[in-house]
Amino acid sequence: MTALERDPSASARTSPPGVAVTPLLRLRDVAVTHQGEDAATPAAVTFDIAPGEVVLLLGPSGSGKSTLTLALNGLIPHAVPADVRGVIEVDGRDASVTAVAELSTRVGMVFQDPDAQLVTGTLLDEVAFGPENLRMPVADVLARAEGALRRVGLWERRAENPDRLSGGGRQRLAIACALAMGSPLLVLDEPTANLDPQGIEEVCAALAELVAAGDRAILLVEHNLDAAIGFVDRAVVLDQEGRLVADGTVGAVLRDRAEELHAMGVWLPTSALAALRLRRAGYALDPLPLTPDELRAALEDAPNPQKQAPVHTSAPLEGVDSHADVSTRGGAPADTEAQDAASPVIAVRGLSLTRGRTAVLHDIDLDVARGEFLAVVGANGAGKTSLIQAIAGVVPPPRGSVHLGGLDVGRTDIRTLSSQIGFVFQNPEHQFIANTVFDELAHGLRLQRLPDDEVRRRTEALLERFGLTAKARTHPFLLSGGQKRRLSVGTALVAGAPVLALDEPTFGQDRARADELLGLLRELNREGTTIIVVTHDMQLVAEYADRMVVMAGGRILAQGPTAELFSDAELIEKAGLRPPPLARALGGLTRHPALARVARLSDLPGGA
Amino acid sequence: MTATGPVLAASVSHARFDPYADAVTAPPVRFLYRLNPLAKLLAPVPAMVLLVFVRDAATPLAFLLLSYAVLLIGVRFTRRLALILLVALPIGAAAIGFGFSLWTDPSRVDQSVVVWQIGSWTLYGGALAVGFATGLRIAAIVALALIAGLSTTGPDLVRSTVQQLRVPYRIGYTALAAFRFVPRFGHELEVIRQAHRVRGAHGGRGPFAAIARWSGYIVPLLAGAIRHAERVALAMDARAFGAYLDRTERHVVPFRTRDVVLIVLFLAATAAILWVLPVPG
Repeated sequence: MTALERDPSASARTSPPGVAVTPLLRLRDVAVTHQGEDAATPAAVTFDIAPGEVVLLLGPSGSGKSTLTLALNGLIPHAVPADVRGVIEVDGRDASVTAVAELSTRVGMVFQDPDAQLVTGTLLDEVAFGPENLRMPVADVLARAEGALRRVGLWERRAENPDRLSGGGRQRLAIACALAMGSPLLVLDEPTANLDPQGIEEVCAALAELVAAGDRAILLVEHNLDAAIGFVDRAVVLDQEGRLVADGTVGAVLRDRAEELHAMGVWLPTSALAALRLRRAGYALDPLPLTPDELRAALEDAPNPQKQAPVHTSAPLEGVDSHADVSTRGGAPADTEAQDAASPVIAVRGLSLTRGRTAVLHDIDLDVARGEFLAVVGANGAGKTSLIQAIAGVVPPPRGSVHLGGLDVGRTDIRTLSSQIGFVFQNPEHQFIANTVFDELAHGLRLQRLPDDEVRRRTEALLERFGLTAKARTHPFLLSGGQKRRLSVGTALVAGAPVLALDEPTFGQDRARADELLGLLRELNREGTTIIVVTHDMQLVAEYADRMVVMAGGRILAQGPTAELFSDAELIEKAGLRPPPLARALGGLTRHPALARVARLSDLPGGA
Repeated sequence: MTATGPVLAASVSHARFDPYADAVTAPPVRFLYRLNPLAKLLAPVPAMVLLVFVRDAATPLAFLLLSYAVLLIGVRFTRRLALILLVALPIGAAAIGFGFSLWTDPSRVDQSVVVWQIGSWTLYGGALAVGFATGLRIAAIVALALIAGLSTTGPDLVRSTVQQLRVPYRIGYTALAAFRFVPRFGHELEVIRQAHRVRGAHGGRGPFAAIARWSGYIVPLLAGAIRHAERVALAMDARAFGAYLDRTERHVVPFRTRDVVLIVLFLAATAAILWVLPVPG
């Protein structure tokens, strides 16, 4: 990225929109109705983007953010049929009648899934693909391709197959491809949703450099605000119905109207959520901090509140207000750890595993107590998925290495195992085998050869439990994303398994849906189910897990209470992880030592 | 390994067949890399058609030798080439040869030589001759196809169909993009199989259970495939794919005199083999 030239005039872009600059993008009362739907989402959107501006588009799930991005370069309605009302003008051209190819030179797009944006065999061909389609002369194609690849730091790897890049690398390539179109406006739709923490960091760094150069306007749809908040100027917010409710500087929108946005279901940066809570507890935090650094600085300046609110710190196996039902879940409170070690529900001893010719796990020892909520974290390739697959028997472990509720997993057939442990794959659709939601749940019970009326009774109870009663006759593939996920959890538990293992269950989902799922898991956990989850989302780990296992290179680097491990910066660094935003903000606070070890939002004072 | 996510799906494809692999750099004597893919594909076609109809063993043997000579000179000598030419193809030809010898109707072959007799069943020399002629024919056809197959990259073949055959580039490049789907679907199928197994959807042994099991994989696989294809199509449109009737071509795959020479020489060789060898029967 040495070729990047920082433009000193970049600060000009912070001038208020619409002041004597012709807007690059002009939206007036835009409403889009997809074919076969009644309501328009978005329903009424009006805003402009001036050259060089960096705009964050926010809104609760289902408010039509992605739809709006597709309408900006004419993919809606030209490629995806939909009814578009209102005015969309790109550089003076009416998007509804201008060809996508022409608009593509004005609006470059980056989508969520980096894999679904690859066409050719080398990085250079990939970046050249767009300019070639525009029939540019070969010399210009190469010049543009080189410029674009250099800006994202991939020029040295131009001859490689894009497959060889990491997820973050592939997404940077997608950004280069959009840059090569020469468009003054870049539209990015959740570019980090499919990435691990390292990939998110890479993509955000690449975007921050683009912003610093100041030559492109950017419209960013992003749910991971913790990463994006650092480089955006302006925020535009849609409400649940897809109407514009806020448009202004990040300060004016996110800082001043945070409570309102939060109530609307808009996800806020973790630091802002924490600050809102702390304000309620009496801490003077004004203006509202949005990044970990701001929160830390604001807290160091803030005096102690008059009435001292109690501060919980998350002890192992202790939910926020679950003290009451600890005794009902198989007796595993923190202070009886020694007793638990005698009869853990899962005992892994000397587990080594190879796949093909590669050793993926080396000599793993791990105990999981009954009723625990355990998170397995680590960088890509650390062996997280292999470990829980071996525990659940998805990949048969060597005999004697994994014991699950008294069974030797290596010797037990999968049908017997399914009554002991449920496994939820990353994509719920992969697990569906029946034609209705009812049969999907009933399948596990029928396998146990239970009488019909008992199958019906238990299935109906489960449908009720997961809020799927109205959908009992629907094909599983026709459910919404959240319903599919709930159903996949239901199918894993129907056979009565006391343990549930989930592989990256929040991958590619927005925060609201991820939170809904984790809330469900916490409920199940309180009812006594042992939960093991593999995830990249450190704040979710901090928020929900009692204990975590940190893996690196196929070995367990450390295991222990979540908050304790997150406060060990050296360990987190060594594992190639990042501490969650809240731990980053509060870790080592000197003025409020009581807050310094809090890793969960729900442990902060000021809860409702 | 976290080899579960779509994000990582592509990483499994490294070791396998890569349709995008770069053209290899080779000394000039490895002449096949310098020829047009279409010429390499078309030159052996008359010979291949001919091989479908001949019945003797000498003709396929002659073509087999010809294509081996072309391959051993024209393609870089690698372990893979050695394995294909010296192990895989001979074993395949022998297996097919024995298979057909046993399968041929004994009443319709030359029964003058008895090779092997078990009870009332006799393997005649004639049957063996017919079987091995068939094995040689199939091996010769495969070897002829390898001339283009081992020296051509996927993108070059697509480019020459677009440049010389005037296939619309929208079709050619879409086909190329579709190559990317193959390893992805392979990986996805593997995950679906695992997921169904975990659900206890094994259904027992035997061919019918297997059919039921595989048909259960189709819906999730297709759902994923269609969604992925739609996304790729949108991403291509967003980069002006199909904007004009043609597009800039950075890699010209020329059709030169040497390609004509290859075709002419190959036809001449084909004719010569036919001329020299006695017509059987």
